[in-house]
Amino acid sequence: MISQTYVTRRQVVGNSFARNRNTIRHTKRNLGSISQIIIIGMLTLVFALIYVAEGTKATSFDYELSSVESEITEMSARLEDLAVEKARLTSVATAKNSTVAAAMEHATVTGYVAE
Amino acid sequence: MSQNKQPTKYQILRSIVLVALAIIVVRLFFIQIVEHQSWVAKADAQHTLLETITPKRGEVYMLDKGDPVAIVLNQSTYQIVIDPAVTEKSVIEDVMKEYAKDYQAADLDEIYGQEGLRYAIVAKNIPRTTAEKIAESGAPAVWLKKTNQRVYPEGELASGLLGFVNADGVGQYGVEGSLGNLLAGKEGLLKTTADINKVALSIGNDNIKIPAEDGKNIVLSIDRSLEKGVEDLALAEIDKTAATNASVLVMEANTGKVVAMANLPNYNPSDYGNVADASAYVNYTTEVPYEPASVCKNFAFSAAINEGVMLPSTTYFNQGYEIVDGWKIQNAEQRSILYGTIDMKTALYWSLNTGSIHALKLLGGNPNSITQAGREKLYDYYYNKFRLGRATGIEIIEAEGFIPDPNEGWGRDSVYANMTFGQNLGITMIQTATAFSAVVNGGYWRTPTVVEGILANNKIEPLTSEAPVEDKILSDETSAMMRDMLVNNRNYKVRAGIDRAGYAVGGKSGTAQVIKDGAYDDTMSETVGTYIGFVATEGELPKYIIMAKMWGEGHYLDGGIASNLFDTVSNYLIDYYKIKPGA
Repeated sequence: MISQTYVTRRQVVGNSFARNRNTIRHTKRNLGSISQIIIIGMLTLVFALIYVAEGTKATSFDYELSSVESEITEMSARLEDLAVEKARLTSVATAKNSTVAAAMEHATVTGYVAE
Repeated sequence: MSQNKQPTKYQILRSIVLVALAIIVVRLFFIQIVEHQSWVAKADAQHTLLETITPKRGEVYMLDKGDPVAIVLNQSTYQIVIDPAVTEKSVIEDVMKEYAKDYQAADLDEIYGQEGLRYAIVAKNIPRTTAEKIAESGAPAVWLKKTNQRVYPEGELASGLLGFVNADGVGQYGVEGSLGNLLAGKEGLLKTTADINKVALSIGNDNIKIPAEDGKNIVLSIDRSLEKGVEDLALAEIDKTAATNASVLVMEANTGKVVAMANLPNYNPSDYGNVADASAYVNYTTEVPYEPASVCKNFAFSAAINEGVMLPSTTYFNQGYEIVDGWKIQNAEQRSILYGTIDMKTALYWSLNTGSIHALKLLGGNPNSITQAGREKLYDYYYNKFRLGRATGIEIIEAEGFIPDPNEGWGRDSVYANMTFGQNLGITMIQTATAFSAVVNGGYWRTPTVVEGILANNKIEPLTSEAPVEDKILSDETSAMMRDMLVNNRNYKVRAGIDRAGYAVGGKSGTAQVIKDGAYDDTMSETVGTYIGFVATEGELPKYIIMAKMWGEGHYLDGGIASNLFDTVSNYLIDYYKIKPGA
């Protein structure tokens, strides 16, 4: 059989508890100086990383821009090459020396420009 | 009792540290304050990219039946650069053999034979695609240098008109030189913070980017196919004769537009450095004044007719020569049938100098002698009305030439007598052709032009807002009489079947003596042949003016030889433009 003994507070001798007194004591807890330094250091590091990240982001756009500009230059060079090739292929000298032109017959006047 | 206190080790160390700190502070003061600007400049130099943005040089176009076609373009090409002290000869030999044998610009044995040479260009004008292959091959110690090259896809076509761009990128001669400012554009500027690879970064407060302004694309009024045809015909005539050079101008009679401007022999503008004689660069149609000889009779006759003192039927007594200021001026043609009283139409047909001198006399109001009034009147027509000896205003480089003053200097009468048949003056082909246009087009002198406009957004816009000169200098009647006489001049060409039925082709020849050692060479061992004329549908106003000039050092080349070139060009024009014959 299990027995239980109840003891009232009054029966406890030498107990410092008394009526209307808080039994819990709240003590003020402060961070130590080292902790403060670490936290400030961490915050500074975070802000620094954010700053660097943003700064790098702007620079990365510059590299992207530079890359696009290089691509434009490359494309322009290709365009120039094609324009030159087209001009060479359609030049009068090329047309005159072509085998197609050599096989042609001389044209006769078939009509006149409108006045 | 005094006690000497010895400094402790700590005090010594502290003093040393203080001194060191003081040195550092002083140094920092100098760096930060005194030498501030210098260090800022050094820092800027390391991370600042400052470069000129090169504009794209404008292209040049001709017309092909009215549509612009490119005849001068730009292309990026590459040079192979080596450092002979670093690049092994076998390596560069392999590269050249594999990729660039057609572009070799230097002898490798010669380069490697020179001691201390650290920089050599061994190949030039390598196309981009080939350069990429060379780069991909990874040949050690072989560098590629990008350059801009002017490309002339039509080769030598119209080289005298086009000119070229030299190694410094500056236009020389012709259109490249004359319109260099328009073609070159304006340089831009880029100043920015850059990384170690010179990639421009947007950080920084002093970044500047002024974009380059590309050069204008110029469209010439020259018809490309016609130009080629005219040049081929001129070359064929050179081959047939003793001439070494020929120049041909084809101009629209009623607008002043030049549709062909040939100077033969041509040269390759891409390879201008290998031209043996720099005279090949010259555009003889605009840059060289000369004596076009009897083609000037057109101007003397026009002046007299326009002043109402002469008609084609006006007669005078021809004895084959005139004595002026003690000089005997003879006709080249001394046929007996021409002696006696003849009319001016006959005088022009046979190109008699006595006839044009008679026109000068009539201008002065005295049929028996040359007078001051006659000289002044001829000067007024030549210089003020026909604008001979003056810049015409054409867009390319041109010479002015000269017309002698009617009153100052010795022997004015003989000088002016000579001027009636195109000697003792200096005028250019473009001046002559423009003046001749006025003679036959109804009397309008119009500014000649070789530029159709600026090509922008696929539209041809005017080069300038200034209106060209249009000056009515001769009456319709004068012009009609001159046309009639000029067509009459070519009766023999009609009879020979050269001038076709249904067309009115008129013209006048000129054979100019050449001045040697300060005097005319009376032996006629060397002459310059000129012919000027027009092509028209019979019964209509002329459509085109053609002027041909042929010459060769030490050779007799008369107007008849130049007329053969005119004949071929005039018939080519009729076919090319499908000019309709008259009923």
